[in-house]
Amino acid sequence: MTAVLTEKGAPPVPADGSRKPPSVRRKRRERAFDEVPRWQIYLPLGLYLLFTLVPFYWMVLFSLRPAGSTSLVPWPMTFDHFEKVWNERSFSVFFQNSALIGVFTLICTTGVALAGGYALARFNFRIKQGFMLALLCSQFIPGALMLVPLFQIFKNLSLINSPLSVVIAETVFQLPLSIILISGFIKNVPYSLEEAAWVDGCSRLQAFRIVVLPMLRPGLIAVGSFAFVHSWNHFLFALMFLMDQDKQTIPVGLSTLIGADSVDFGALAAGGVISAVPVVIVFAFIQKWLITGFSAGAVKG
Amino acid sequence: MTVSKVNRGRTAAAVSLTTVLALAATACGDDGSGGSGSEGSGKGEITLWDNNTGERRDIWAQIIKDFESQNKDIKVKYVGLPIDQVQQKYDTAIDGGGLPDVGGVGTAYLSNLVVREVLEPVGDRVEAGPLKGKLVPSMVESVKAAGGRGDEMYSVPSSTNNGTLWYRTDLFSRAGLEPPTTWPAFYEAAEKLTEPGTDRFGYTIRGGAGSIAPALDAMYGQSGITSFWKGDKTTVNDPKNVAALEKYVALYKKVTPSADVNNDFIKMVAQYDNGSIGMLMHNLASYQDHVKSLGKEKFKGLPYPAQANGERVQVSNPVDGLGLFKNSENKAAAWKFIEFAASHKSNSAWNESAGSIPANTDAASDSWIQQAEPTAAAMKALSDGSTKIVDLPYYLPDWNTISKSGNEPNFQKVLLGDMSAQEFADKVAGELNAAQAEWNEQMKK
Repeated sequence: MTAVLTEKGAPPVPADGSRKPPSVRRKRRERAFDEVPRWQIYLPLGLYLLFTLVPFYWMVLFSLRPAGSTSLVPWPMTFDHFEKVWNERSFSVFFQNSALIGVFTLICTTGVALAGGYALARFNFRIKQGFMLALLCSQFIPGALMLVPLFQIFKNLSLINSPLSVVIAETVFQLPLSIILISGFIKNVPYSLEEAAWVDGCSRLQAFRIVVLPMLRPGLIAVGSFAFVHSWNHFLFALMFLMDQDKQTIPVGLSTLIGADSVDFGALAAGGVISAVPVVIVFAFIQKWLITGFSAGAVKG
Repeated sequence: MTVSKVNRGRTAAAVSLTTVLALAATACGDDGSGGSGSEGSGKGEITLWDNNTGERRDIWAQIIKDFESQNKDIKVKYVGLPIDQVQQKYDTAIDGGGLPDVGGVGTAYLSNLVVREVLEPVGDRVEAGPLKGKLVPSMVESVKAAGGRGDEMYSVPSSTNNGTLWYRTDLFSRAGLEPPTTWPAFYEAAEKLTEPGTDRFGYTIRGGAGSIAPALDAMYGQSGITSFWKGDKTTVNDPKNVAALEKYVALYKKVTPSADVNNDFIKMVAQYDNGSIGMLMHNLASYQDHVKSLGKEKFKGLPYPAQANGERVQVSNPVDGLGLFKNSENKAAAWKFIEFAASHKSNSAWNESAGSIPANTDAASDSWIQQAEPTAAAMKALSDGSTKIVDLPYYLPDWNTISKSGNEPNFQKVLLGDMSAQEFADKVAGELNAAQAEWNEQMKK
């Protein structure tokens, strides 16, 4: 019996055209390729969740159980630790400061990244490749290395002890990655759409604002959330540039709960929960756009 | 898109821009510089940097309140710094400006500040004021030695600490063990309290950040060597110290949890307070943590173990103090505050809160010290002549690097068996000898 190959990878069809029904064994094998058993999905995810949620549970547990308790459940429950950090340790003030700095960093980063990203995506200029390379290389400079020069610059600008110094420093360090990401998103928007808007009488700025900007929503959310979360969690600039206690941010407040030789775990855990919850809420709301944004940037950028 | 939407976008952009500019305009910044410094009028605002905030913040608030009520024309601005960032904060302020008027300064980094000429000598001020003769002489000697400028003082000592062996009295009595007052008793207890295959361990060893000082304590404590230097060479790699180190690191995994290789004080104290571990070597400052978790009945603290013959050798502990910064424009007010903070009442209250040993001699007889058994035992050990102190070279600018980031990973290698105790001791000794030679060279100039 002779057999001919119909298409690449397909099983050979007998010369007489008849095809035997696939055996049960082969059916199982095919299903194994098509449908991955559920445990193969849930086991790795479960393990990952275990590693992620157990430390988080530990933090919540320490924050809610009384000092000295060794119970594995937060019962009897107490909010004393939250009250202590919020009122006595000024976390209410730190929270406001962190939120303010985070929001302004978000606005500044997204605004400048939009302009820079558009230039990189739509214009050709002589040093474009070099500029992109410089943006990438700037990612390798640790913030700690720039502390003294930044401190002197802000001192000359009379911005030491001002939240604006932290906003500027955070924005500057967020910009390279944000510009690269945004330029990728803008490249994905067909140039012809902008041209059509020009034909209809729009200026370049109007065309960008009316046509391109609405299509960048996933990218803007990705970049903005990155900027906000990074600024929310970042510790060094706030510690170094802000002198007054009532201008400090949550990460600095958290670190002040750890003494040289003693630490109040309940207060530290409560501070950790206060610090983590807003980030979790932000991500819960924006995750749909965030994933869209990252996949768009990653595949087509 | 409609015109109204376009306008809305413009408005949003304008509002954002205006807000950013408003933030800039109302930044209330200052230039961070302190100028060249002067005695000033003795009135106005001074800034205090607390080098180890955390639970101490409340007692500082009380001291500042008391000071301000007695000195109505002086305001003290308190800035609490996380202990692990304090050196970087000082370094940045030295290079960029913005040092405080008064700052908490530990002997571990005092020489670094002295070398960079940012601290005011305070010996004459102490001699001329109410602190004369009121500071514990050994602490005064420590800050003088750490400053590295002969007999001059660059900080007013406020407190020191003492290595303490915390042990679980309930576990000891259940096992029929006596308190571990000597090294042989310590090793015996560590073995007897360990139950292989369970989470019951005799000891928890510090393998992560801060591991070198306890290791040195174990080395000198067992070897009985009482001097850190023999001529210009350190005694760290003396054969007796190496043998002591080998014995000490052999405890790892045998009577300690295997996770101890990453133990910093936080993890170490947490697993002692929340588990079934017989002994912990830390210092007096963790007393309150143990009380919170275990209650007063389940544990006790002793000075580090003595040798079998009863002689105890310890390495010196850092002395904390307050420094007066040269750039202060109001040194008169700043000094007034330092004198107040180092006075009997304030110093006693501060140390009671921090669980450490006060520097003011009048505070030694206060009732809280007698009631805090571990503190009283530590003070007795340090003052009755039974303990010999090995002075660590805090004056070396490289001391912090050598005793922390430079060799902590190597100590982990020793615990894991990737490096021998001899190799470790030789490496540390080589670096110390080089740093000492460099220091001697600088002093000649």
